[in-house]
Amino acid sequence: MSEIKLTYAQLLETNNLIQQNADEIYWLCATRTVQESKIFPVSAYILFSYLNAYYRYPTLLRKIEARMSAEEIGDRARNQGLKIVAWCFPCFYLLGREMLINWGVIKPTDAFEDVAYVLDFWKRFQLSWHRNNGNLTNKQAGHRAQIMPEQRLQVFHADAYECRIGDPLHKAAQAFLATTAQYGFLVSCESRLTLHNYGPYKISDTREMLVRDFLELSESGVPWLDGVGQEIPYNNLTVAMIVEGCHINLLDDWGSFESTPELRSEHMVAVGLYSADTLSNGHLPVGMGSREELTATFLDLTARIKTATAKLWHVMANWTRDQQLDAGALTYYGVIKEFALIAGVYAMEDWMMIDERAERFRPLLNDEYGNLFLGELVGYISSPSQRMHPYTMMQHNDQPTKALSYYPYSMLADGHYTKSVGAMRPGSSNLPPKNDRYRTSQGVLTLAEYNRRSREFVPEVCAEKFRYLCADWVKYHYDLPLADELFKLDQKHSRLLKDKGAALTRPEIEALRGGA
Amino acid sequence: MSKLYTDTDKYGYQSTFALVEAYNSAMKDLVRKRFAESGRDWKSFVAGDSYDTITKDDIANIEARLLALGYRFEPSAMSSAAERPNAYKDSGLHNENFSFEHPTAPTAPPDPQGRELRGAGDNVVTRDKNLIGIARYVRTSDKVLQYLTNGVPENTIAIVDDSGGTLTAPILEKFTGVLCAGGTTRSHLAILTREYGIPCLMNARLSGVKEGDRLEIECSAKAKSADDYQSGVEAPANVWRI
Repeated sequence: MSEIKLTYAQLLETNNLIQQNADEIYWLCATRTVQESKIFPVSAYILFSYLNAYYRYPTLLRKIEARMSAEEIGDRARNQGLKIVAWCFPCFYLLGREMLINWGVIKPTDAFEDVAYVLDFWKRFQLSWHRNNGNLTNKQAGHRAQIMPEQRLQVFHADAYECRIGDPLHKAAQAFLATTAQYGFLVSCESRLTLHNYGPYKISDTREMLVRDFLELSESGVPWLDGVGQEIPYNNLTVAMIVEGCHINLLDDWGSFESTPELRSEHMVAVGLYSADTLSNGHLPVGMGSREELTATFLDLTARIKTATAKLWHVMANWTRDQQLDAGALTYYGVIKEFALIAGVYAMEDWMMIDERAERFRPLLNDEYGNLFLGELVGYISSPSQRMHPYTMMQHNDQPTKALSYYPYSMLADGHYTKSVGAMRPGSSNLPPKNDRYRTSQGVLTLAEYNRRSREFVPEVCAEKFRYLCADWVKYHYDLPLADELFKLDQKHSRLLKDKGAALTRPEIEALRGGA
Repeated sequence: MSKLYTDTDKYGYQSTFALVEAYNSAMKDLVRKRFAESGRDWKSFVAGDSYDTITKDDIANIEARLLALGYRFEPSAMSSAAERPNAYKDSGLHNENFSFEHPTAPTAPPDPQGRELRGAGDNVVTRDKNLIGIARYVRTSDKVLQYLTNGVPENTIAIVDDSGGTLTAPILEKFTGVLCAGGTTRSHLAILTREYGIPCLMNARLSGVKEGDRLEIECSAKAKSADDYQSGVEAPANVWRI
C-alpha cells in the first residue's frame, strides 16, 4: 500500500490524476449519452452513489489493499475480465467530492490523504490492467482497450466459428447479444455497468475482433437477482466477436464502442463464447465443442435470459422509489466491488448499504434537482466550483471551466487541510437482504466460502513463475520451453490450439482455422 | 453566521439552474449555521460533528420550505409522482389522447407522394429502405404490461419518451420500429435497437402524431455519429404521416 504524505510532488501528481479524469467527464457525459428512464430516477441515484463513494471508498480500498495490492488486482482483472472501472471508479468518487464542495459541506482542502490514496490506487490498478499497452486509460491509448495478451487472443481467434447473416449460428448469436445486453441494462438499473467491451484486435486486413463481456447475470452480489437469475448457469459470459467490413474506431473508458460504418448484424462473421470470473483460470469455453453445440448454447442461454428479464422487470416495476434509488446507487457505487471479491474480503455491509453520512442527503434527491444538478456537474460543467478564470479554455468545449476541483498548493505553505473523511459509518438499505448464494465457476457458494476460496486462489498465469512474462519477453523468448508453458495455460481448453505452444503466428492460426 | 471557504469566489458564479442554486444555497446556509453552533474549528467539524449535526431532518426541511411556496418538481420516474403527487407535477403519462408537440418538430403539408411531414429524429443505423408502420405510444409500465400480456400488435412503431432500456425491456424486440423523444444515438435504447436490428430514431421531435397513425420513418438517412453531436452537425431523418 502506498504511503501518502503531503508533498509538492504528491500534490502535483494528485492534481494531474484529478485532471485526467476531469478531461474525460465532459467528453463521455455530454457527447456520448443522454439517459432517462421512466422506471428509475437515474440522475438522483447517480448523485446518491457519488456521495456513498466519497464517504466509503477510502476505507474499503485500504481494506482490500491490506490483502492484495492494486497492481495484483490489475493482473487478475486483465486475465479474468472486470467491470468498467476506468472512468467510473475515480469519477464517481471525485464527483461526490465536487457535490459536497458546492454544498459547502467540505472545502477543496479536505480529505487530502483519502483522495490522493484513492487516485494512487486507481493509477496502480489501471497501469497493471493496461500493462499490455502501457497506458493509463483507454483515452490515453487513443480510445482503444487492447488489454489481453497474445496467447488469449490466439485462442479466441482460432476457435471462433464462422457465421453469416441468416445462418443458424449467426441468428442465435445475434439474438443472444441483443437479449443479454437488454438484461444487462435492467440488472444494472438502466446503466451499462455490467456490459463491457475490449479491443479492437486486428485479425486480418479486413477483420477485427471485439471482446464483449456480459457480467453479473446470475445470483451475484446484488439482491435483486435472487429468485431471478438462478436458472442462468454462468454469472459472466464473454463473446469473442469477429467483424468484417467494419472498423471499430473507438472504445471508450465506459467500455462502449463505435464503428465505421455503424456495426450491423451482417458485419459479424465469426463468434465464440466463454466465461471467466474471480475463481477461474482465465476464460473457459462455453458450448465451443462444435458449431451446433454453440448454436444450441446461445439459444438455451437466450431463452433463460428472456425469462429472467421478464421476472426482473416485474420486480423492478413494483419497487418503491426509495428501493429504486438504493438499487441504482448501489449499482454505481458497487462498480468496484469485484476488487473485494478478488481479494476475498467482500462483505454485504460494505457494498450493498448506503452509508449514514450519504443517507442524510436522500431528501434532496428529487427527480428534477437530480437531473439539473447532475447536468451541471457532468454536462454543462457549470457548478460554481467548476468555474475558472475567463482566460481558461477547457478541453473539448473551450469554456472557462474544469470539471473537478484541484487541491490548492497553498496547503503546502499554510497547512490548512484535513486528511480523511474518517472511519466508515453504519449503512442501511430499503432492499430485501440478499440470499447467501453466489454463482461462481466453482459452483454456487456462500459468501464466507467464496471469500475463503478467493483468498487461497491464484490463477495459474498470475503465479510467480508466469506473472512477469509479458509480450516483450515473449517476443524474444518464444522458442523457450517456458514460453510454451505460458501459452499452454490459455490453450488448455482450446479446440484447435491445445498444447500448440508459443510459436504460432497469426497467419498460421488463420490457416489452422481452415474456414472454421 | 460563519463564512464558508467557497463564499469568497473571484468569478462569482451561481449555478445555471434556479432550483439547483436554491437548493445548494440552502445547503450552504445550513452548514454555516451548524458550523457556527458547533463552536469547533473546521478540522474538528468537517469529519466529526458535522456528521451528526447536519441531519436528514434538516435536509427534508429544505425541500419542505420550497414545496410550501407552491413549487412542484418535474417528474422523471413514474414512481416519483405516483408516490408523492403533492410534490411533483402531473406527468400526463395516462392521457389517452396524448401526442408529442415538440416546438422544434419540422412539419409540412403532404408531398406529391402524400406524405405529411410530422417530425424528425437522429437515425441510429442507416437501413436499406424506409420503414412503414403504425404509431403506438408506450409511456408507462401499465402499457408495457398490457402488451406483455396480450402481445404487441403487428407493425408497431413504438413512440417512447424513455431513452433507457428498462421500461420496454420485456417487449422491445416485438416492435417494428422505435421513435424516441429523447436521448442520442449512443443512449441505451439506441444500443439495444441496433443489437435487435430494429430501425430507430432518437431525439425525435414530433408534432400531431396520434395513436394509430400510419407512419413512414426515414431510416435510410445518414446515421448520426458521436462526432456529429460533438461538432453540432445536424443529420435529421424525417417522420411522415401517410
